[in-house]
Amino acid sequence: MARPSGYAASAAYDEMFATTGETRSHYALLHSRIEALGPEALADRQRTLERSFLLQGITFTVYGAENTTERIIPTDLFPRIVSAAEWATIEAGLSQRLRALNLFLADIYGPQKILSDGMIPRDLVLGAPSYRREMQHLFVPHGSYVNVCGSDLIRGPTGEFFVLEDNLRVPSGVSYMLANRDASRRTFPDVFRQAGVRPIERYPDTLLATLKTMAGDWRPNPQVVVLTPGVYNSAYYEHAYLARLMGVPLVEGRDLAVHDDLVYMRTTAGLRRVDVIYRRVDDDFIDPLTFRRDSSLGVAGLFNAYRSGSVVICNAPGTGVADDKAVYAYVPSIIRYYLDEDAILPNVKTFLCRVPSELNHVLANLDKLVVKAVGASGGYGMLIGPHASRAERENFAAALKADPENYIAQPTIQLSTAPCLVDGAIEPRHVDLRPFILSSDKVVVTPGALTRVALKRGSLVVNSSQGGGSKDTWVQSAEAAPIVRGPGT
Amino acid sequence: MMLARVADSLYWVGRYVERAEHFSRLSEVMLNATLDRTDAAFQAAKIARAAVGDAALALASNPVDLARALTLDRDNGGSVVMSLARARENARQVRDQITSESWERLNLLYLRSTSSRSEAAFNADPQGFLSEIVTDLHLFKGAADATMSHGEGWRFMVAGVHLERALLIARLLKASFIDGYGASVDEPISLVAVLRMACALEPYLRVYTADLNARFILEFLMFDEDFPRSIRYCTAHIEQSLGHLSRGRDSGRSDPLRLAGRLNARLAYADIEEIEGPGAGALLAAVEAECKAIHEAMYDTFVAYPLEMRLPA
Repeated sequence: MARPSGYAASAAYDEMFATTGETRSHYALLHSRIEALGPEALADRQRTLERSFLLQGITFTVYGAENTTERIIPTDLFPRIVSAAEWATIEAGLSQRLRALNLFLADIYGPQKILSDGMIPRDLVLGAPSYRREMQHLFVPHGSYVNVCGSDLIRGPTGEFFVLEDNLRVPSGVSYMLANRDASRRTFPDVFRQAGVRPIERYPDTLLATLKTMAGDWRPNPQVVVLTPGVYNSAYYEHAYLARLMGVPLVEGRDLAVHDDLVYMRTTAGLRRVDVIYRRVDDDFIDPLTFRRDSSLGVAGLFNAYRSGSVVICNAPGTGVADDKAVYAYVPSIIRYYLDEDAILPNVKTFLCRVPSELNHVLANLDKLVVKAVGASGGYGMLIGPHASRAERENFAAALKADPENYIAQPTIQLSTAPCLVDGAIEPRHVDLRPFILSSDKVVVTPGALTRVALKRGSLVVNSSQGGGSKDTWVQSAEAAPIVRGPGT
Repeated sequence: MMLARVADSLYWVGRYVERAEHFSRLSEVMLNATLDRTDAAFQAAKIARAAVGDAALALASNPVDLARALTLDRDNGGSVVMSLARARENARQVRDQITSESWERLNLLYLRSTSSRSEAAFNADPQGFLSEIVTDLHLFKGAADATMSHGEGWRFMVAGVHLERALLIARLLKASFIDGYGASVDEPISLVAVLRMACALEPYLRVYTADLNARFILEFLMFDEDFPRSIRYCTAHIEQSLGHLSRGRDSGRSDPLRLAGRLNARLAYADIEEIEGPGAGALLAAVEAECKAIHEAMYDTFVAYPLEMRLPA
């Protein structure tokens, strides 16, 4: 099979078609099935999928002046397929990276050897807004500061995967990974059966086991809860989903109370001890007494209870210092420093604007680079040089000169493209890859991921806050290469 | 043992769902009964206005306007759409406690009744629109009954359903039969409308045959042991739910179980003669007052208790 004529080829690596136009072998089954179904059946399946998401309440709320409406997160029908060999590299690389980053956090919030050895500028780490002095010298079980990690990987024009960002604070999207899987199993059951897709359905119980392991041995059968900012948070669906699948209470700040450094939840039968909090609330908001005083989402006294060791907060506060965009540039050195290994998954080349020579390079090449504010996330505070207007570039240049420490720059990478169903036609769209990694006494990489899609033609921005969508990701198992060919091949 | 906030939300899901069902049915029956221009039709409209208990709504000039306002008005907290929205909002806040099967029923109902097309659908066929809501709410209750664990959360939801139902039936009976509240219904056709508003026509006929009079209807809807929309059935089930919820708990002065038991005993052992003359009005007023007291006691006992009192030993 080969690339259809309507499917525009570009400089980007395409997940389904090789540059020669041939269908890549691990996509053959899916491609022939898509061809066999034809546009009408595909459109029909797309409608069924959207309706199922709406019914399940996999939506976000748009608040308008007159009334509020609910929209589903745009979801594409076609799964993205990752071959077993490619996944093996990704898995080893992610596991290595998270082990190193946890060692880094334990060092930073402990003896700070890496700073004494001069591997990273001291002020870059200790001056980062995400550094939490309050965490200094606190005991964290298994040295596992980051229990849930959702790294963003991208694939460059040569087909090589890079780590673009380590999301170590409160990464989200795992419920969409699971919901997309549920949908794709129903959309392409026959292809799924033959493709040898690795299951991801164990994620909720693996997460629960991870959280329980963090409680240590001193409390048998620890009480785990999921802490959500509440029903108005855009990721609320995910919080409720995880709580339901783990079978643990979904609590809000107002359901918890701290008394004598012990954390309780208010139940119908009085107060009950809480041992592990999987918090989906940012550091700043978890305890108004310790962090932001205007927060009403958290629990007064929670951090003191945490400090006393009576409760575990997952992820630990202060993990943001390790996914800071400036610290990111040092991750390959961090891996070498703690593990004495080379990074399996490369970083994207990063220019630190705090370094004068690199700033000059960035200013001279603004039209080729992506510039990011160090503190921002979600696609905000970002300049994509080649797509920006002259005025936008000039504004950014001024901001860079005024506050160089706040910016980094990276070459614009043509993210790989994958086939998507857009208005009835099959078109390439840029995608990234967000796998989820769990860590307690061991590191577990879930064999699947959320593939985020930039829905606008040619756009490189995949963030859902910027109009991105998602699709399911099939990781093939090593044994089951597609042996059976579908019709049409 | 469950989160206090969650128990409260589930209780309110029960109350709002019951309220939405009752007012959908009431509107549908009223629309049907007012098709002809007889005294009975006039009485049916009057009952409905009184049973709604909302002065602003009662001003609506004709039955269709009244039904439309009662169903779709988003500015009126008591309308069917707002009850559905609140039931669904409460359910969403405790989404982890509700099975997907029951959630999807309620969510579908919410999406349909709040969609931009709902008003056109209502105008095209008001009775069809309303009876579909009632049917869907039955499906929700059935799905919840068949798929949710009948544990603590379930009991809170069911307690909410029965408490709301007792209040609504008491109000309907007051509006129909008690002097000074609404109509004094005597027309056989409007007596049938009252029974239909309580979804009670067929069960009533089986007990009393087609002998329609106000006295029997009061007796049936207040004291019948087996009919799920009689007040006594509701109070018995409130007591039963609270009995489960209060197990192994020390009872204080405001113990909701004690209040529920007392109310249920009053209905179970009432002298049927008590509902002759002004007695019925007094008893219905007592039912309303006691239900409100149970509601408050539940809140104080299970949800908003002072923290210092309830630390674990």
